[in-house]
Amino acid sequence: MESTAFTFRETSLPSPPSPSPLGHMRVLIQPNLSVRGWPTSAGSRALEGFEALEDATIVTLLSKAGAFLIGSAHMSELGLGLSGDTVAQLIAQGQAQIGIMTDTLGEARLAAAHARLFGFKPSQGTVSRLGLIGLVPSMECCGVVGRNLEDIVSAMTAISKRDPQDVSMTKEALPDFDSVPSLRSETARLVVVEEYLDTLESREARAFEHALRRIERHAGLPVKQVHLPDYHLFAPIHQVVGSVEASSSAGKYDGVRYGHRTPSARNWNEMYLNSRGESFNTLIKSYLFQGAYFQFERYASFENACRIRARLLDQAREAMADTDCLVFLTRRPAHDPYRAATIKATYDAFASTLAANVTGQPSIQIPGLVADSEDDDLGVLLTGPALSDPLLLSIALHISKSNKGVSLT
Amino acid sequence: MNACERTPCGILRSSHVGTTITLAGWVDSLRDHGEVLFIHLRDRSGVVQIVFRPESTPFEVCEQAAFLRNEFCVSVQGQVVSRELGTENPHIDSGQIEVVASALTVLNKSETLPFPISEKSMVAGARPQGEEAINEDLRLQYRYLDLRRPSMQERLIRRHQITACVRRYLDEQGFVEVETPMLTKSTPEGARDYLVPSRHHPGAFYALPQSPQLFKQLLMVSGLERYYQIVRCFRDEDLRPNRQPEFTQLDLEASFIDEEFIYTLFEELAVRMFAVGGISLPRPFPRMTWKEAVETFGTDRPDLRFGMTFVDATDVFSHTSYSIFRRILDRRGCIKGINVKGQSASLSKNVLQNEYAKEIVPGFGAKGMTWMRMVEGRLESNIVQFFTEHEQQQIIQRFAAESGDVLLLIADPSWQLVCSALGQLRLHVAARLNLVPPGAYFPLWVHSFPLFEATEQGLSSNHHPFTMPDRVDFDPSNMEELLSLNSRTYDLVVNGEELGGGSIRINDRALQNKVFLALGLTEHDVEQKFGFFLRALAFGAPPHAGIALGMDRVVAMILNAPSIREVIAFPKNRSAYCPLSEAPSPVSRAQLAELGLLDIEEPETLPGSEQQHDLIESLSWVSRIALTDTERPVIAESLEHTRFLADTVNTHAGDHEPLFSAVPLEHRTREGTQPRICPLAENRQLFKNAPALKGGFFKVASILE
Repeated sequence: MESTAFTFRETSLPSPPSPSPLGHMRVLIQPNLSVRGWPTSAGSRALEGFEALEDATIVTLLSKAGAFLIGSAHMSELGLGLSGDTVAQLIAQGQAQIGIMTDTLGEARLAAAHARLFGFKPSQGTVSRLGLIGLVPSMECCGVVGRNLEDIVSAMTAISKRDPQDVSMTKEALPDFDSVPSLRSETARLVVVEEYLDTLESREARAFEHALRRIERHAGLPVKQVHLPDYHLFAPIHQVVGSVEASSSAGKYDGVRYGHRTPSARNWNEMYLNSRGESFNTLIKSYLFQGAYFQFERYASFENACRIRARLLDQAREAMADTDCLVFLTRRPAHDPYRAATIKATYDAFASTLAANVTGQPSIQIPGLVADSEDDDLGVLLTGPALSDPLLLSIALHISKSNKGVSLT
Repeated sequence: MNACERTPCGILRSSHVGTTITLAGWVDSLRDHGEVLFIHLRDRSGVVQIVFRPESTPFEVCEQAAFLRNEFCVSVQGQVVSRELGTENPHIDSGQIEVVASALTVLNKSETLPFPISEKSMVAGARPQGEEAINEDLRLQYRYLDLRRPSMQERLIRRHQITACVRRYLDEQGFVEVETPMLTKSTPEGARDYLVPSRHHPGAFYALPQSPQLFKQLLMVSGLERYYQIVRCFRDEDLRPNRQPEFTQLDLEASFIDEEFIYTLFEELAVRMFAVGGISLPRPFPRMTWKEAVETFGTDRPDLRFGMTFVDATDVFSHTSYSIFRRILDRRGCIKGINVKGQSASLSKNVLQNEYAKEIVPGFGAKGMTWMRMVEGRLESNIVQFFTEHEQQQIIQRFAAESGDVLLLIADPSWQLVCSALGQLRLHVAARLNLVPPGAYFPLWVHSFPLFEATEQGLSSNHHPFTMPDRVDFDPSNMEELLSLNSRTYDLVVNGEELGGGSIRINDRALQNKVFLALGLTEHDVEQKFGFFLRALAFGAPPHAGIALGMDRVVAMILNAPSIREVIAFPKNRSAYCPLSEAPSPVSRAQLAELGLLDIEEPETLPGSEQQHDLIESLSWVSRIALTDTERPVIAESLEHTRFLADTVNTHAGDHEPLFSAVPLEHRTREGTQPRICPLAENRQLFKNAPALKGGFFKVASILE
């Protein structure tokens, strides 16, 4: 089990420089993050046999800070969804303290919720994506999962660094993760989105009610309600924009410079059609076809989705004007992301996490707060304003600590 | 400043010496000699030199003048003095004198110029300025500066004088200028219309006029008798270098007249217009039927500035044994040629055979070209040996060939092709050998064009469907007869360029209907497009005729301007774009919504299953992703959902500006990196992951099987 859960294991671990801020922290990654000489297939036949030629910036930063990269684990094809993912499970087993997972729809947070871990998606543009083999540039980023929130904070301190090579990074000052312990989170203001409550199935609604009461009682943080009128448009916008970007960025997989090449092609066009046809599985293909449809058949709908995205950002900012974060449930018990075989099922499973990918806001999954009637930990998700990452982590620490010793049910 | 006190710069001459004057204008150029500063001051009238000299100009004025830069707008007071002997400037009309400044007011400063404006040298013997080519888009972007240049102002002023002369003359002739609407209905000129959406009638559009054709004819029905208008017209045609989406036309129509009236009127008018540019046109203008023009010059707008009229040699070879000519004549083809007089030395065998016969003439659509040279009274060529002595003698006679002449012949089964290819060849040879005399102007009338021309769909009008045929007893269903009809049309052609054209119009409703019938228009079509006009014909419409002249073209020709953009104040560039105002430009969605244009964006109908299949195929192709049969139904289902998503998104679009990333994007250059070869390419690491390599390159399948 353990051996097949890895895609690659580093055998010779280098000795870290001393003193090292991450003090030998064991880090597991996905095979879409470049480490020189490691197999880096991003879970796709399109990168069959590909070995990275250079280290990703985040890999260099982790190593410099004294972390051990122990290997990589399985991931879904090109990081869309969670089918086949083994990172969270290996972290839960204690193989590594933290895992780096690409968060496009909420993969890092939802995988963490399933494995009863913490899962953090930082603000868009605060962690370099150079060397990350991505799919949806405007919405994906490197997320961090771990058993201890402190480990996640340390890892973030190490990897949230400016990278002149990644021009998509934010121009604002990067969050100061060293400040997390000193922030005052006991008076944090939490809100729930009313329109989100309307989407909950009854089982979810009961569990959520329970979680909010627990946060109020143990952490002493009252939770108010706020409006986000177009909340129901987050998923459609994510799908239109995400699929268009995916179809565009998957264009580079042509089986010429790397990856799978069809053995049977009588000419140039057949080579591209068949190599790409054989490279992608049905789930990602559906997504790429959807993106092609918006681009080539209904371009106005892509532009309109981007208009709505601007509006959603405004609404999210407004909803958080007087608060520190929004509260959601991470998981939806009736929608298992590990079994989702279609794009629709995938999006259903990620319904509450994907909003933060649309807005680029930081978001954290907290375990151990909420169980449903079947004793399943559904996870609580906090999403804060852009670049408020340290305060969000500080609130998560506060809630999580105040909950220690309290049983779930 | 009091306008009366101001003296124009350009009028100053030696006779003004001693007077004290006030000038105002722009600093055209400066020459700083340390203590002494010279400037050229320019206004619309011309340029004069101003001197700031410490011994005669107050100290503060000199100090202030030191800050002058090009194109500062200033007013200067001073005294006119004669220039010292030897310092006169022949480049400017006021070059004998200069003005010694006594006062200076800077009316406005100028930023650094995007291009130089000055065209006048400050010293004798210097190269005239303003000759270096400036990027035309830059000129158009700063057109207001471009138009400060005297040569550009001269063109606009001349243009004004030409239109003023047109108005004066037509007024003398009893013509009335009447304005016709700009927001109107699509007219039948055949080009694409510029459309204007109507807010009050959602989904309906006005068309900008391609010409005021129907309205001017209606004015004849109204009894105005003599109408003209200098009017803007609009055509959304494919881009061409010398074409503008909007252009100015001299549009004219008169009742109870015939062709002779138009010829007389327009010859006199053309003579007067060209006279503004110092050009005298010879009268009367020769006339030529369309048939004759094509037969002898290969075009309906012959350039008469040089000879080389076509000579028909078909009958000379009626019994020839030269197989190429034989085959062509067996297919009832024709052979025509031109005599390039005395150019044997300039047209070597190599040029004739390898350039003209093999490259240039095939480019005109002909299969080949035959050439012969007259050397010492005999024909010489690579094929002359195939012609009999009799044929050779006849050729020499027919072409009046003398030693040193070059004969160029084209033979083809198609008469049109022979004419058109030989016509282009004639122009090409004339240009190459500089046979076009500079400063020559040869106007002529080309008349009696065919009424109809054959198209794939049937017939179309050569001019427009309101043109009078040369006879009216035709059978509208007899295609052969229809194609033999001529029209009562006339084009004014000068130097191979069509400047305008017109026709005698149909004023009889029954005849007009017959023409529509011949064109294959149904009664419904006719009613919808021209119903209002046909009704008007039925109310005693008088016999009438008209003509229209392309003013931009005419002015450009008279002023010898390299393009029509040079004689238009604010033209669009070659891409039909205005770099100055940045038109056309996007408009807000709110504006589109108000005009009801958003609803017609995408059809609501759902495609059927067959189209769905095609959709998958087309997406598979544009994405270059092959599908297996088992994947197809999954993709089809996901696309169903996608269609729903697109509709949802479009319904809720709102009017925010599209946002493509949550982190503001900006274009940046990576810092500190010099251009270099990527080390991974240099050490060939890039090839490590390649599925197939060949000789140091990525290997791919061949493009064709």
